[in-house]
Amino acid sequence: MSTASRRAQLSVSDILYKLLFYSTLGMFLLMVLVPLILVISASFRPLVEIYATDVYLIPKEPTIQPWIDGYEDLKPNLLNSLYIATGTVTIALVVAIPGAYAYARTSFPWKKPLFYIIILSLLFPHVLLVIPITDLWYDFGLYNTLPGVWLGHQTFVVPFAIWIMRDFFQKMPSNLEEAAQIYGCTQWSAFVRVVLPLAKPAIIAVLFLAFLNGWNDFLFANMVTDSRGPQPAVVQLYQTINGGSGEATDWQLLMSESLIIGLPPVTLYLFARRYISEAFAVSAS
Amino acid sequence: MYQWDMSSSRDSQEISPAEQTQEPAHYIDINGLRKTFSNGTVVAVDDFNLDIEEDEFVVFLGPSGCGKTTTLRCISGLELPDEGEVILNGRDVTFDKPKDRDLAFVFQNITLFPHMTVRENIRFGLDMKTDLSKDEKKRKVEETAELLDIAETLDRQPTALSGGQQQRVSIGRAMVMEPTAFLLDEPFANLDANLRDRMQTEIKRLQRELGKSMIFVTHDQEEAMTLGDKIVIMEDGEIQQVGTPYEIYNQPKNLFIAKFIGSPSTNIFEGTAKINGEEIYIETDDFEVRLPNVRASEFAASNGDMVFLGIRPEYMHVVPKSEGIFNAEIDVKELHGEHDAIYFTVGETPFTVTEPQGQVQDTERVKGVDFDTDKIWLFNEREERIH
Repeated sequence: MSTASRRAQLSVSDILYKLLFYSTLGMFLLMVLVPLILVISASFRPLVEIYATDVYLIPKEPTIQPWIDGYEDLKPNLLNSLYIATGTVTIALVVAIPGAYAYARTSFPWKKPLFYIIILSLLFPHVLLVIPITDLWYDFGLYNTLPGVWLGHQTFVVPFAIWIMRDFFQKMPSNLEEAAQIYGCTQWSAFVRVVLPLAKPAIIAVLFLAFLNGWNDFLFANMVTDSRGPQPAVVQLYQTINGGSGEATDWQLLMSESLIIGLPPVTLYLFARRYISEAFAVSAS
Repeated sequence: MYQWDMSSSRDSQEISPAEQTQEPAHYIDINGLRKTFSNGTVVAVDDFNLDIEEDEFVVFLGPSGCGKTTTLRCISGLELPDEGEVILNGRDVTFDKPKDRDLAFVFQNITLFPHMTVRENIRFGLDMKTDLSKDEKKRKVEETAELLDIAETLDRQPTALSGGQQQRVSIGRAMVMEPTAFLLDEPFANLDANLRDRMQTEIKRLQRELGKSMIFVTHDQEEAMTLGDKIVIMEDGEIQQVGTPYEIYNQPKNLFIAKFIGSPSTNIFEGTAKINGEEIYIETDDFEVRLPNVRASEFAASNGDMVFLGIRPEYMHVVPKSEGIFNAEIDVKELHGEHDAIYFTVGETPFTVTEPQGQVQDTERVKGVDFDTDKIWLFNEREERIH
């Protein structure tokens, strides 16, 4: 059949639908891409070009000075961010994997209400927790320490991780572990040899989300640390907004720092992408 | 005729009398097994007693939810029974861990480990349970694969295999362990019909070759008949009858079994017993038949008792109108293998007659129906067979 006769069969509603579909898609694309392109453009401009009156995308005298300055500025904080994110991931996995497995496979009193409490804690506005936690961390000696930041992040990360992993474990046929037990495994070794390798997508998804949370979070990190402690890069970015040369904001620096901070999560996402979609697929493969 | 009593014929061939005397009375003994769920409110299995010999192929047959799978899981250790004991080869294993029972289990849905190759799957048990050398394991895995005709798939991932091949790998994973017995939970239920037939023949051949007991769970009566040396019919968590396929088919203990076994299923007519001197008649709303070869004094029902008359479709015959015991109208005619199944209704009761293909023309709808009266079964009000 020729395309012409195919097109002839399109009804008005088909055309309208396609029109709406692509225009919506285009709008969202613009909303995401335009700021990103502007940010990239600004990060390569010298200061004089930031306040230029005419609009253009490619800088006339491109420079990587903002990137060099930005990196120098963020260097110690980027390391802090890495420590914070890695610690957050580790604690989240250590707590959530066995926790989620217990919720998926065993029965114990109050199992359902306890699980709903965990889910409910996700709905709780975390902003409200910041003040009491900061206060408690002072008392516990956790203020301005890495463990303090790690634990603070768990209030959000652990419930979320348990939720994802429990669903994944539940979808996994329990016959697999039973087969392992028939052929020589204990419950524990069946878990290690069969369940964990198969849970890789869920584990990687949780790892990524916990890392993202640890890396990007501003609120907790800003409250429970100061410049003497393990302050992450995002908090330093905030200083850049107010810093600069007094009156003016160093936009080119701000933009390059934003991009520097954004790069590690993006890289991680490229690696984790395949697993994340698998973990969130409706049916487990 | 095929010799169903396998124990006598096999013993003489393969097991010397001296060896046999060292064996325990029964290879597998299950005594008084009871299993409940939901704090005892749901009884899955009750008072289950069974002996299995070393080379027996036992089939647990029953409708879904009858407790057959639960029983199998109790034997394997995947469930622990509330009461009763499981004795394997003289050893009480009732509360042993699954891995310590030396049993193999093949599941209905395929449970190969998707992150391992076929070779690693088959080797899994050997890796976990034995100290064999690498070469020894490799040899065993390859021998097993050869026997099951999956040698060329050894280095593939299980997901790249067809359903039949995957289930062969599951069987291979079981076989390589040389277990005391094989437990199979509807292993072929998800395969298409042709493949299922082929796998049935293969598993039976395999069982004969290995000479080890297999317990096979199915809800498919034809599968059970094909495979079993001994069939255990279950319903509502209880054993209804244990017997050879011939016994089950020809001498059902109760109405449930009579109806459950056979295709098309046994015809049942409700009626009353009439005793006239030494002669016994069964009277239904639509006809009356005399029972041959039984005397009133030996008969387990008295005059006027309600009975169910059961007769298999192949023992009923279509004859010209008014020449049989009663007349009935044909509803439909279907082809059933080499037979035609002719569906009738008389009064309110539907029934089926099988005749060789093409013998009955349904141009005339009303036909006479005749019985082989010596093939009639009678069941009392409690649905137990009394004749």
